Amino acid sequence: MMARITLYNYELDESCYKVRLALSMLGLEWQTVAVDAFPGAEQKTPPFLAMNPAGSLPILRDDEMTMFGAESIIAHLARSHDSTGAWLPADGADFAKVMQWLFFAAGDLGVAGAARRHAMFGAAGDEAALRAGAAQALRAMDDHMTARGFEKKEWFAAHRPTIADIALFPAFALSRDFGVDHDEYPALRRWARRFRALPGFMTMPGIPDYH
Amino acid sequence: MTIQAGWHPVALSGSIEPGSSAGIRLGGNELVVWRDNSGAAHVWEDRCPHRGMKLSFGFVRGDHIACLYHGWQYDTAGQCRYIPAHPDLRVPASITVSVYSTAEAAGMIWTTLDPAAALPELPALPEEVVPVRSLYLDCSAGMVIDVVQAMPPTSSSGGSGLADLKALSGTLFSLKVGEETLLLGLQELTGKRSALHVVIDGPAAKYAGKGQEHFFAWTSELRHHLETGRAGATSTTRAA
Repeated sequence: MMARITLYNYELDESCYKVRLALSMLGLEWQTVAVDAFPGAEQKTPPFLAMNPAGSLPILRDDEMTMFGAESIIAHLARSHDSTGAWLPADGADFAKVMQWLFFAAGDLGVAGAARRHAMFGAAGDEAALRAGAAQALRAMDDHMTARGFEKKEWFAAHRPTIADIALFPAFALSRDFGVDHDEYPALRRWARRFRALPGFMTMPGIPDYH
Repeated sequence: MTIQAGWHPVALSGSIEPGSSAGIRLGGNELVVWRDNSGAAHVWEDRCPHRGMKLSFGFVRGDHIACLYHGWQYDTAGQCRYIPAHPDLRVPASITVSVYSTAEAAGMIWTTLDPAAALPELPALPEEVVPVRSLYLDCSAGMVIDVVQAMPPTSSSGGSGLADLKALSGTLFSLKVGEETLLLGLQELTGKRSALHVVIDGPAAKYAGKGQEHFFAWTSELRHHLETGRAGATSTTRAA
């Protein structure tokens, strides 16, 4: 039987990786359709624009519904397919903080994705400015996780991992792709080690698969 | 670039968990700090002699660190012990990584690039410290202590008393504020970047949580001032 969930995927895209992580960590079954994003820019051709007029990946089809945008997709997956509600708490401060960091991942931290696309795929941009902006966003994350440590909290938004951690992980794990090392983010290094140990964790090219 | 002789702090002890590694810079040199599974810390040149890959990108297994590139494994003395592509090879003794003396004191990992350096001679350091953070700064190491002196924190208990900054060595400072004492380890990353490793002298029972938060807030103000040249007047900073 065909899986109910289809991911239009480019293996080297960090936003697609967010969705693959969420699918895997939620324990879901899915099928992927490989998209020639680089160099083909297939996601900007009419069949894909019909699904996502923004011309970006990832795109997800879940049953009859098609949607785009990594953060909204993983929020949908958590709400619709995680009966425990743990990955996306329903209300209160936990919900608020998940939303806060999810939007940070899509917004302030977007410069890290731009820095990586510039470094790896030749996308336009000012290299020094992109790298500095990404380092600044990662520093904000490290500051937050350092302070969380004083309260014995190990995750970004709640007492356990949420989709906020999933959305934030790729930019840090892939930062060496755009020339930002992990030296100056000790709290993020420890968080990433915990994240890697979660059930369902998977790597992508650029993130070492220790063996 | 040269770095002064003697011992340098390179990380807070708690930042390098057993079985993990991180790249560090010291006076422009690229080093790796790693902790084996028995808990001992090591500081080495961050370079696999095979193809020059950074060992800090690799992984720790037991008391070996392995290069990410081809899996060459090194023991705690820096001697290569295993080459996966040649599993039956008796690895030549000449394949080694440069190893630097390493010590842990005051909640920090220390190293020296001087092969002749004895263990650091420091005043009696506290047995028990509470980590605050490693503060990475976009300014030279030479600027940091002047600004610490100009804008010391208040004490976390709200007690009053003058701030007293003392150099215990070229890289370790004690900062007494009221009845409380911080220890500050200064690391020169490059000529333009530095790190300040901050711990509280005292027991976790007293300082874990609120005490850490108090001094953390001060470090953020210190960083703001060092990187922008502007002070933000707030409750945790004493007027200069």
